[in-house]
Amino acid sequence: MTAVPERAAASRRRGAGLSAQARDRRRLTLWLLPPALWFFVFMIIPYLIMLHYSLGRMDDLRFIPDISLGNFVKIFTVEPYASVILQSAQNGLMTAVFSTLLAYPVALVMALHMKSERARFFMHILIILPWWASYLVKVYAWRTILGSSGLVNSGLLSLGAISEPLEFLLYSRFSVVLTLTYIFTPFAILSIYAQLERIPTSLIEAARNLGASDWEIFRRVILPMSLPGVLAGGVITFSLGFGDFVAPVLVGGPEDLMINNIVINLLGVSLDRPLGSAIGVVIVALAAVLLTVANWAERRTQVRV
Amino acid sequence: MASSIDTQDLVKAYPRRHRHETPPLAADHINLSIRAGEFVSLLGSSGCGKTTTLRMIAGLETPTSGRILEDARDITDTAPEERDMRMVFQDYALFPNLTVAQNVAFGLTLRRARRRFPGSEVKRRVGQFLEIVRMEGFADRKPHQLSGGQRQRVALARALVTEPAVVLFDEPLGALDAGLRRDMQFELKRLHSEFGTTFIYVTHDQEEALGMSDRIAVMRAGRVEQIGTPEEVYNAPVNRYVGAFMGKTNILTGSVLGPQKGHLQVRLASGADLAGTAAAAVSPGAEVGVMVRADRLAPVPDSAADSALQAKVRERLFVGAQIEYLLALPNGESLVMNRPAGEPLLETGQQVALTIGPADVRILTS
Repeated sequence: MTAVPERAAASRRRGAGLSAQARDRRRLTLWLLPPALWFFVFMIIPYLIMLHYSLGRMDDLRFIPDISLGNFVKIFTVEPYASVILQSAQNGLMTAVFSTLLAYPVALVMALHMKSERARFFMHILIILPWWASYLVKVYAWRTILGSSGLVNSGLLSLGAISEPLEFLLYSRFSVVLTLTYIFTPFAILSIYAQLERIPTSLIEAARNLGASDWEIFRRVILPMSLPGVLAGGVITFSLGFGDFVAPVLVGGPEDLMINNIVINLLGVSLDRPLGSAIGVVIVALAAVLLTVANWAERRTQVRV
Repeated sequence: MASSIDTQDLVKAYPRRHRHETPPLAADHINLSIRAGEFVSLLGSSGCGKTTTLRMIAGLETPTSGRILEDARDITDTAPEERDMRMVFQDYALFPNLTVAQNVAFGLTLRRARRRFPGSEVKRRVGQFLEIVRMEGFADRKPHQLSGGQRQRVALARALVTEPAVVLFDEPLGALDAGLRRDMQFELKRLHSEFGTTFIYVTHDQEEALGMSDRIAVMRAGRVEQIGTPEEVYNAPVNRYVGAFMGKTNILTGSVLGPQKGHLQVRLASGADLAGTAAAAVSPGAEVGVMVRADRLAPVPDSAADSALQAKVRERLFVGAQIEYLLALPNGESLVMNRPAGEPLLETGQQVALTIGPADVRILTS
């Protein structure tokens, strides 16, 4: 007899008169509070600080707060900022394109031709394995492969294919993009594979049964259905390639600096924090545009199976 | 236009898991001879090899041994895309990135078909076949916007649109609910008579097979147990398995007495004597199974004939159009009897005498 009023009293203490919906909303808020707080403290506030710096200027190593677009004007009018951003984007794009071209066949074979669970697992391990080695070690490895007395050159020399070492192999844009592609291709493989794996076998059988050749099956069924994975992998590899600052230093030439190397320089050496921040704001804005477009394209190409 | 399909000793072995294991056979020497324009069902429970057989005919599975002939031409090694057969898949297998019209047009616009179907013809045909399956208003929808029945109609249109010589069905109605399944059965029968194409239809549903087929091949454990018209398979099963698989039936134990007036006389273990027809030659004294269909048994007024079966009503179930009785024979064997719902009801515990004509008693030796 007393149980019912007790429970009613308890519920009144917790949230008197709240509808079930309101209580659900309250519980959700509680759950979302920690990540929201994290996001606010470590993302929103730093961005605001960055924006604040980007609008100010330096006066004899002293920061003067201001509301001025001077730094942004400088980025787009004074060399080399805009052109380095562009060059970084080009490097990122090449990384994305080459990674995708390398990744697609691997993902395709894994998803459609490897029937045994064990073989697929083994492939996964092979793809992820390089990530157990440090990033720096892998970049240095490319130096020993591409250097003037490295594997490639000494090999070609001893075969007599060339008479002197190929200079473009190392400390060039070629070596930067090659290294970035090598390092980031696994991301493209995994994201394309995840999408290809979702294609039901019966669709491929149906296409074949309707008279499609291998090429037509690829062109008309597999490729369109894998586009979201290609896009996702492209965005990841582009972003990682665009933002990289280690490979340009270790395997790039003096002309091959990327935008983040310049930002590091501005912040750490020339102590022009406002200009560095302004570059940061421009890059974040570019990333936002890129992600919006990619998201839109991904939603358009994603199909419900 | 339609072609005949023959399979000769078709065998499909599963891959071996151990080196010394004899591989189990998914299909064990399948010999089918399907005439041009025939509607043949491969009927059996799951794992009986019916789908494997169908997929071998389609070329989606490579036979371990044996031959497949289309109009007496050997197509065993012909690539699936080169065979003039279309398959309707259980999960429909519609291309999710294409609209209904594009799905139907798929087979018409491939390199192989382009000469036969010029651009203007494609459009006309897609319209025509969407109309045939009553989906003309849905041309621009995507498959995920359709119901299961509608998807199946699109899959049918896609299979029929190139007017293939053979259409293969892999349990196409399995995912639909009962009412829709019945409608689609009528639809398939209509399409079959309209096009005259050879239909090979895999199902585990005996009613589906009985209703639509010209002939049924009942399969078990990779073998064809019996092939015949629905009437033959239903009324004259060759063994207990086929008899039990096709509809509600009772198989009682008995022994052969001998021939009498063109029939075979058997004595049931429960004591009564019945006359029936035998599935195979059998000599007096042999132990046999006596198959009595539940819907062919009838109660007679109070112990009229002394040879009639005597039984006691144990349970009565109302199952809609019919009343199902569970009866007990004197020796404890049980017996199911179905009667139309309009008849006077029998009560639980009541003693009844039953008759059954010799045409409805099937004597099975295996």
